[in-house]
Amino acid sequence: MTALLEIQQVVKSFGGVRAVDGAAFEVAAGSITALIGPNGAGKSTLFNCVAGSLRPDAGRIVFAGRRIDRLPTHRIARAGLVRTFQSARALARMTVLDNLLLASIGHPGERLSGLLLRPRAARAHERALRERARELLDLVGLQAHADAYAGTLSGGQRKLLDLARVLMLEPTLVLLDEPMAGVSPRLRVELLDHILALRRERGITFLIIEHDLDFVMQAAEKIVVMNEGRVIAQGDPASVQGDQAVVDAYLGTAAVHEQPAPA
Amino acid sequence: MFSQLVVNGLVTGSVYAIAAVGVSLVYGILRLVNFAYGDMMAFGALVAYGCNGPLHQSMVVAALAGMAATALLALALDVALWKPLRARRAGFMSLFLASIGLALVLRQALLLAAGPQPEAYRVDPYRVFVIGSVRLSEAQTIAVATAAAAIVVVALFLARTTAGRVLRAMADDRTLAAVAGIDVARATRLAWAISGLLAGLAGVLAGLVEYSFTPDFGFQLLLPVFAAVVLGGIGSAYGALAGGLALGLAEELSTWSGFAGGVDPVYKPVVAFVLLALALLLRPQGLFGRARVA
Amino acid sequence: MSTLASAGFWEFVGVVAGIYTILALGLQLQFGFAGLLNFGQVAFMAIGAYTMAILVVKEGWSTWLAAPLGVAAAAVGGLVLGLPTLRLRSDYFAIVTIAFSEIVRYVAMNEDALTGGSQGTIALGPVGQAAQYNGQWAQFQHRMQAWLGLPSADATMLVIVWLAALALLASAWAVLRTPWGRVLRSIREDEDAAASLGKNAFAYKLQALALGAALAGVAGLFYAWQFSYFSPDDFAPLLTFFAWMIVLLGGLGRVFAVPVGAVVFGFIFAGTRFLGFAPFSWFASDQRAYLRLIIIGLVILALVVLRPQGLLGKREEMVLE
Ligand SMILES: Nc1ncnc2c1ncn2[C@@H]1O[C@H](COP(=O)(O)OP(=O)(O)O)[C@@H](O)[C@H]1O
Ligand SMILES: [Mg+2]
Repeated sequence: MTALLEIQQVVKSFGGVRAVDGAAFEVAAGSITALIGPNGAGKSTLFNCVAGSLRPDAGRIVFAGRRIDRLPTHRIARAGLVRTFQSARALARMTVLDNLLLASIGHPGERLSGLLLRPRAARAHERALRERARELLDLVGLQAHADAYAGTLSGGQRKLLDLARVLMLEPTLVLLDEPMAGVSPRLRVELLDHILALRRERGITFLIIEHDLDFVMQAAEKIVVMNEGRVIAQGDPASVQGDQAVVDAYLGTAAVHEQPAPA
Repeated sequence: MFSQLVVNGLVTGSVYAIAAVGVSLVYGILRLVNFAYGDMMAFGALVAYGCNGPLHQSMVVAALAGMAATALLALALDVALWKPLRARRAGFMSLFLASIGLALVLRQALLLAAGPQPEAYRVDPYRVFVIGSVRLSEAQTIAVATAAAAIVVVALFLARTTAGRVLRAMADDRTLAAVAGIDVARATRLAWAISGLLAGLAGVLAGLVEYSFTPDFGFQLLLPVFAAVVLGGIGSAYGALAGGLALGLAEELSTWSGFAGGVDPVYKPVVAFVLLALALLLRPQGLFGRARVA
Repeated sequence: MSTLASAGFWEFVGVVAGIYTILALGLQLQFGFAGLLNFGQVAFMAIGAYTMAILVVKEGWSTWLAAPLGVAAAAVGGLVLGLPTLRLRSDYFAIVTIAFSEIVRYVAMNEDALTGGSQGTIALGPVGQAAQYNGQWAQFQHRMQAWLGLPSADATMLVIVWLAALALLASAWAVLRTPWGRVLRSIREDEDAAASLGKNAFAYKLQALALGAALAGVAGLFYAWQFSYFSPDDFAPLLTFFAWMIVLLGGLGRVFAVPVGAVVFGFIFAGTRFLGFAPFSWFASDQRAYLRLIIIGLVILALVVLRPQGLLGKREEMVLE
């Protein structure tokens, strides 16, 4: 399988702290890859670098054959790589439906010139968008809340909204930062089903940070383990589970281990 | 000529620096951009004028009275206005707006109480000290000596005393400070008291330096003070000190004929803003953003 | 205090409220919808007014050409301010905008050759000759007055200003309901989230700033025409704070809250002229001017403490983080 995303020796420091310290791995097209590691390992920081929220100090990030580590967030999103945030970023004072309607690329109605010069195209696009938003609301079970302010949703519902919003964009790669945290067990099962179905039916690739190991073992075909800004192990779930470096990292005795050569 | 400008710059700059520390301390702890600070400075300057002029007190007594009165005002305002707003979890915007409203009230109240005519402290404008090629009026000499002493005291307070370290720790991370067992309410009062003392002092010094002042002169000082705070990286007390001095120097030196013929002095205030804009473009986190001590 | 009953006085208040409506609408667009802390709005008003007056007096342009150019100049001013500063943190941005407005005022005050300096527009023309920029406008206003059969010039101005204000309010309302306005609101809520959905937050903020500045430019035109003379002192930062007060009084993120805020503000501001009763009558008239501003300051404070959402704002929006 070809690599859709290549992370090459990425470094990001905050003051003296090297939050990401030469991390390197690949995400295969059409796969579900899990990124795990103890708190503070640098996972979210790495996501921020990939999604363009932070600019890496060194290293390269290649998405679909194109370097993206110097691009602004919105350009990366338009290229088909979208992310959710660790604490779901529902746009609180907008309705749930409006939150979803935002997720559209190339909407003529979102430009003043488009509104003036192509009003019909803008209306048509908006109509199609609303239809799709309704479908996705059904999919994540939020249809009853369409006209509520997103700020009134529970934490778990916000995660679902965040996911639905990302899916509206029909991305090729989705980065999910702890999608299960704060989500009720019943919703977790649903969320997992959604993700698996999306991969199966639409061929969407997922890179997921998650602490819920059950979820990771069930869903992911590849696991990347980070500790102190580095990748300390990667491979299929079974091999990673037995890896001594991983056990040490989780037990907090993080001994210095050789970083595996990038595949 | 050049050395005279440097000294003038240091005089102006030290007033900015003292005021900027006062703004910065409160911002660091309460996330409040205090728009009323200029008018608190004017309040201190006027109280001191009351003691120095009509009551015939010495400049030292007058300045101390101005500082004490401004600190009391700051504490009273905290009880009457800021504390209730904090209790309502008012956001950054609400606090900023409240400070604008307060600034209006204070300024007009001062005008009402003291009248619009300019006041001047009883210092002799014709007594001049000459050091080499540099001439300093009596008022400037008092201002620069007091300011230098005040800056040293403030820096020592922040660096060496427990209270100073607490204030800096809170400016860095309020929630962490609360977790670490710091009495947040007490530290807040302390910040207001010091901010008020510094406002009073800066007001008196500004009044001395400008020779005569009106009750609404605080607003004109506020903008360069804010510029100094931003230049130093908002919330950093040492940065504010450095930012204030840098700004004062830049304003005066811009008029130096050796520098492209010199800027027309009427544009001195503009120089501060242009400098601020340039600095922010180059370093969006503030010129001395890194100089912040953890 | 016979003016209390005079229609002329209230017509004047109504004109000013209309001009403030347009000025504050720009701010509502910038802050209420795009989240921009613009504290330099008055500068764009100055740019609009001065551009028009200078083109008419110095270049001999027709008012009808100079006026749109004044609005365009204000919009360009917004772009010039926004390009380098919109990437700054919001509190830094706020301070830079105040600085910008003071720079504009200083330039107007000191570049006598261009603006007439502190003497104002009267000194725009050749030395010793009182310059005047509103000949064509006065004619137009006169014709309108005859055509509408109105009793006074102020009454005519009242109609013209409010027609313009309503047209601008309606346009703003319409455009803010479109997907474009939705993107703007998303940026107000969370810029990072909007960017991660593919929105170029910078471009939208720049558009909001420039459009709001253009509205201030329109307000500047009407201000110039209404008073037929102005000087840099007319564009002090206080005016920007009045505009903020109007937006907050009305309620954030609501287009039609702006005229409500402006009218209420106009009444407070004008009404405080009539503080002829005790205890206000104890004060001299210049002291009462200070009292008026004290009252306005207290109203701002009361508003922030008691009704942060404004008259028409929704409480529930305030409690959502
Ligand atoms: N914006 C930031 N400023 C300073 N330090 C940060 C910032 N973001 C993350 N860090 C630090 O970087 C390290 C990695 O954090 P993070 O990427 O959030 O870890 P993870 O998501 O794996 O738990 C931590 O030590 C954290 O404190
Ligand atoms: Mg994380």
